[in-house]
Amino acid sequence: MAADDVITAVIVDDHAAITAGVRYWCEQAVPPIRLVDAGARLADVWTGPGADADVVIFDLELVPGRPDFAELRRLVDNGRRVVVYSQHADTATALKCVDLGALAYLTKREGLDHLIPAIRATAQGIPYTAPSLSGALVADDAPDRPRLSPRESEVLRAWFTSSSKDLVAAKLNITVKTVDTHIARVRVKYANAGRAARTKSELVSRALDDGLITLAELNQTETPL
Amino acid sequence: MPVSDTVGGQTRAQLLFGLRVATLLVTAVVVGVLGLVNLLRRWESHDLPFAQLTAFGALIAVLAGEAVLLARRRPWGRLRPFAVAVVLAASALAAVTLPLERTASAVDWAFGAANWVGLVVLLDRPLRTVVLFLSAHELIALSNMLLFSDVHKGDLARLATGSVTVIGFPLCLAVVASVLHRLATAAATAGDEIERVRTAEAVAAESHRRRRQRFAELSAGAIPLLTGLADGSLSPEDAAVRRRSAIEAARMRRLCAETDVVTNPLLHELRHCADVADRKGVVVELEARGQWPTPPVAVRRDLTDAALTALATAGSWARVTVIGDQGLVSVNVVADCDDVVPPSPATSGVRVEVLGNGGTVWVEATWQPTT
Repeated sequence: MAADDVITAVIVDDHAAITAGVRYWCEQAVPPIRLVDAGARLADVWTGPGADADVVIFDLELVPGRPDFAELRRLVDNGRRVVVYSQHADTATALKCVDLGALAYLTKREGLDHLIPAIRATAQGIPYTAPSLSGALVADDAPDRPRLSPRESEVLRAWFTSSSKDLVAAKLNITVKTVDTHIARVRVKYANAGRAARTKSELVSRALDDGLITLAELNQTETPL
Repeated sequence: MPVSDTVGGQTRAQLLFGLRVATLLVTAVVVGVLGLVNLLRRWESHDLPFAQLTAFGALIAVLAGEAVLLARRRPWGRLRPFAVAVVLAASALAAVTLPLERTASAVDWAFGAANWVGLVVLLDRPLRTVVLFLSAHELIALSNMLLFSDVHKGDLARLATGSVTVIGFPLCLAVVASVLHRLATAAATAGDEIERVRTAEAVAAESHRRRRQRFAELSAGAIPLLTGLADGSLSPEDAAVRRRSAIEAARMRRLCAETDVVTNPLLHELRHCADVADRKGVVVELEARGQWPTPPVAVRRDLTDAALTALATAGSWARVTVIGDQGLVSVNVVADCDDVVPPSPATSGVRVEVLGNGGTVWVEATWQPTT
């Protein structure tokens, strides 16, 4: 972790233009985010300045057509906070990344609006749910998916379709804060399901500490093993 | 098998079945009654009466075979060459074991019997096959006479006279059969042709109906617009006219896309609607999640109509999303529009909602499949 307050992120992406764009966004952000460029070299995430970065911005497909879930798993298992930044928009890939323990999943289209907020949230270990991931969560039809309340599904659906929390709040007659709470609760439920990962268990225990969700509510959604 | 084939096939089968029955009856009388009477009355004249009886038995066996096949309405098929061989063998056996110089006489019962049996077996074959068989039969009698007897003029005359009936009558019947064959084939072809014409007419009528229907659908929106543009009453400089044009262009694109065979027609048609906005410089992103049952065309039109109205008025960007499951399909457009007047859905079960928020408008059309 960085000693000062400045958030550090390391980006793994083989496209120089993408990295340049992300660097520009990071520099323009208030306060700015320090970006380490690892290029396409995964080793630079583990050694040198990249090893100390708070957040890993991870391009899932360094080799086209072969999403590197194994590397994502290694990063998460070592306690790294990962923002998956992917070309892919399909539901299965997004859900798989969340199950492995990525705190955020963004499609490259969503970068402009959501990458900086996602970096800030994940730097603190808080999950970030962009609209495309929201759509994937609500469209999840796996038999062992966590049970969502009708309101949570409604919020996820509206967030996916409108991509504006103000619109979601206006449509459902709730505050933006309530919108965020519903989305956060869904992520806790997902963190409590499927594969165990350090980022996920941290997320669940913090949610319980904060009273975002109760143990009873979590147990209700727990999947049978 | 197509319907036409069955129609043609039936006509053919009916015609030929009647002929087969008639031929079998005639042959049964000729062989079973006349042949048997002749054989029994001249029993004493034969040197080897049991050989003659064997030949008679063979012919009766072939006739019995035909009777069985006829009852089951089956052709001779692969058994045919075997049956012809049996008939020719019987003919030869009867001829060879005849008393000397008795060929084509009253004693020679087989000369006027085996020819009919052969005809029974070969009735549905081409005429030349029957001619070939009758020639073989005649040749057996002739060669028997020439080889084993002293030939007198009287014998030849008797053979010639006998041949008129032995060859002539079956040949007549074979000619009739062959004509009937040709008629049946022609009838079957005509039947097929009638069916084909009927099908073509039905297809033409249906496509005409569909074209009229499509034209009627366009007449409400596109045609008044085009007329107005043509006669100058509508100006392309008017923003409202441009918006109407964009909407109608998207509807036409959708109309064409409706007949495409695709796995997800709703998404396919939405893509076509979005493309119209894309062409006028609006950045459109289209994202879909979930799986839903395919809505009927009328419902898809309602769902996409709401979307294309919003897309037509979008200023610079639009986000089109579809999300659905078994119980709900939701088509959304969020775009920078001034104001959107959503069309009222024609089908029940489709709801359209518009939510405006300072230059950003969210149009949502939902459909519940169960209602």
